[in-house]
Amino acid sequence: MLNLILIVFALVCAIQAVTATRLMRAALWLAGVSALTAILLFRIGAHEVAVIELSVGAGLVTVLFVFAIAIAGEDAMGERPIVPRWIALPATLIAVILFGWMILPVGAGETAAAAGDFSTMLWHERGLDTLVQVGLIFAGVVGVLGLLAPARAPFPVRRAEPLPPLRAEPGAEPVAGQEG
Amino acid sequence: MITWTPATVMVLGVIGLLAVGLYGLLTVRNLFQIIVALQILVKGAVLALVAAADYVGQLHLGQSLAVTVIVADTVVAVIGMAMAVQVKQHNRTLDVKALGSLRR
Amino acid sequence: MQEYLILLAIGLPWLGAVLVWTAGNGRPRWQHGLAVASSVAAACATLALIPNMSAGVALRLPLGGVLGDFTFVADALAVSLANVATIIGGLAVIFSVSYMAGEAQLGRYYAMVLLFIGAMVGLVLSSGLLLLFFFWEITALCSYALISFHNDDPAAVAGGIKALLITQLGGVGLLLGALAARAYFGDDQIESVLRATATLPATAQALLAFGFLVAAMAKSAQAPFHTWLPDAMEAPTPVSALIHAATMVNAGVYLLLRFFPAFAAVPGWRDAIVVVGVITALLAALMALVATDLKRVLAYSTVSQLGYMVYAIGAGAIFAGEFHLVNHAVFKALLFLGAGAIIHSLGTRDMREMGNMRREMPFTAATFITGAAALAGLPLLNGFWSKELILEAGQAAGPQWAYWLMLLGAGVTALYTARMVWLVFLAPAGDRARAHRAASPMRLSLGVLAVGAWLSWLLAGPLSALLAETLPYHDLHVLSTLHLIEEVLSHPATYLALAVVALGLVAWLARERLKPLTARLSWLARAARAGFGFEALNSSVVWLVRGSAVTIQPLQTGQLNWNIAGIVAGLIVVLIALALGG
Repeated sequence: MLNLILIVFALVCAIQAVTATRLMRAALWLAGVSALTAILLFRIGAHEVAVIELSVGAGLVTVLFVFAIAIAGEDAMGERPIVPRWIALPATLIAVILFGWMILPVGAGETAAAAGDFSTMLWHERGLDTLVQVGLIFAGVVGVLGLLAPARAPFPVRRAEPLPPLRAEPGAEPVAGQEG
Repeated sequence: MITWTPATVMVLGVIGLLAVGLYGLLTVRNLFQIIVALQILVKGAVLALVAAADYVGQLHLGQSLAVTVIVADTVVAVIGMAMAVQVKQHNRTLDVKALGSLRR
Repeated sequence: MQEYLILLAIGLPWLGAVLVWTAGNGRPRWQHGLAVASSVAAACATLALIPNMSAGVALRLPLGGVLGDFTFVADALAVSLANVATIIGGLAVIFSVSYMAGEAQLGRYYAMVLLFIGAMVGLVLSSGLLLLFFFWEITALCSYALISFHNDDPAAVAGGIKALLITQLGGVGLLLGALAARAYFGDDQIESVLRATATLPATAQALLAFGFLVAAMAKSAQAPFHTWLPDAMEAPTPVSALIHAATMVNAGVYLLLRFFPAFAAVPGWRDAIVVVGVITALLAALMALVATDLKRVLAYSTVSQLGYMVYAIGAGAIFAGEFHLVNHAVFKALLFLGAGAIIHSLGTRDMREMGNMRREMPFTAATFITGAAALAGLPLLNGFWSKELILEAGQAAGPQWAYWLMLLGAGVTALYTARMVWLVFLAPAGDRARAHRAASPMRLSLGVLAVGAWLSWLLAGPLSALLAETLPYHDLHVLSTLHLIEEVLSHPATYLALAVVALGLVAWLARERLKPLTARLSWLARAARAGFGFEALNSSVVWLVRGSAVTIQPLQTGQLNWNIAGIVAGLIVVLIALALGG
């Protein structure tokens, strides 16, 4: 029951985040969604992921948003959407209702003994995933460094020379007398 | 009526978050708001992963997959924000409509 | 032994291509020499395959689960066409030594020609449909590259692209057939198709049969897909001789010959082939009659003769079709190379600017006229025997209206051949510089091919015996050379055909007297000059495609939200499909 309440709050925060008129507010509503999702994850029993979600989603991403918005500056928002609402809303509703109709109802599920603990899973059985994540973070760092670097002088463009004519020999075939 | 098992509640939550995220992607015009909508979508996905893992009984496997997804999505958000900053500097606006130059 | 010869026949030209390319354009004599050496070596390899023929799979290269095995077969059909490819290829390369002397970018030219020769040999030797498709595509690539060899000439580039598009669209038919065979039979071996097509459901049989027919029609320039061949004459003439007369256009006819037993029973297939062959032969002959570009006349003539071969296959005369294929390759290559020598020395392709070449280039004139006589079907030359065989078989087994039209076509063939010979060699020369005689490499190729035009029909007996022996599914009966002579000389249809040919020749000689008749037929001449509407059809297809592309372009808005809307729409479609599919 508590889960249902938490979900309702999370959806309210999400809707507010999407329809906010100022960017800062959108970022803060997003932080709220992250926090509530973290609590939900904890209540399922995934303690480690809940902590990660809270610190990364509610903490790191929110701080990044605040910084980025401060650098970029606020922009005028709340203009008419490009895709009209009478298309967007029904399309979304149809998609998710179809999706839900196919999945629900979900039964009770199995209660199984937890196999091993989280750290063995993370570092041994899914160790390759973790290594790839390291690579991914590294790639992200390099990408951001490249994106935020000051603009360089553009490469000098060589003007292309005209090609020398290829057929200068007397033995060549000129195009003559074509038939339609 | 549906039996309100814990898994059903979670699935309803996932569906709701996905719906809000998709609606956001369809209607917002500001680049930062698009990143916000993407984040909401991914939170729905993470919730779905963990809920499914709990349903099947392999919670730890689901958790490590969820960690991977969170890391990937965070990197995407960071790079998206860096790009948004650059777009603001070049185009003077964060409006998505100004980014249609690939078509021309 | 067979395995090594097969690998050599395909690998030697390809090795030659790499070597010529690496020799570099700064060493043309090395390039000429390497090209000649590798093509002659390939010809030796295929000649050595003749005593080593056998019916089943000769070489199997296992490549694992997804691709299956690459198999090669060395039966008489494959080896005869491989020999045609390498021998005429070798002669064309020898001819190129003096034709392309001093040209830039020889490396690209020879590499593509050698790549083509190897691919053509591979095409006829392969025994698996996907492997055949692989070689088919390589020949299309080389054809495109060689047609637009002079890539600073927009007409050449346009011709190359047109050829590529039409033959590739036809190749889709081949690919569909290959995939269907793979799906139904589990492997794509030609033998499986030949053996078990009759067991497939009727729609699958029709898909295979007509898919292959479309591919063959596009590759062999049959109507309505013939518009690329005249425009392909922008290629250097040895290329025209090799690719567009003697080998690549034969690939389509080869496909029909190879798969005839599998599809002969499919309703409507043989009739469709006969109709296509007759229409093509007659229309192309009429278009050759009004053309003024020497190479275009020869191009239309190729299309027309391919129509004869296709007609023979439709009438069930497999041996006659194959025989005419070999003979046609010889005399058509001869005609093209002769035309190349003339064009090289005069610098023009317009027949109205030629004339009197009989006195100025006697050797070329003699060989060219030999080829022309073979084309017209004059007795004792190779074209006569195979054309008569086709007409006889057509009269016996095919529909009668088709026979009379093909007979008329033989007359028109004689007429345009006479016109061509007269305009180029016998007419009084206009105001132009005197032509120089052909150089020795050119004469060598021309001479060899002229001897071939006189003698290649003598191979009929051994060819027939080997075909009957190594093609178990084709149900051929052996026809020895003596039998051939007997049969042709004693059949009344032969004399009827000879009379029509003589009529055609006489019609040219008496053209002044026939002026009133030709004035009445001027509407036909106008239609022939306009390509009987097929060029217009071509242009309208291009216009349609471009127009619809321009119309659809606004769908690509370039705006993120609409792209996401597209994704959501796709999601809904997938979900509905899943929901319905259960």
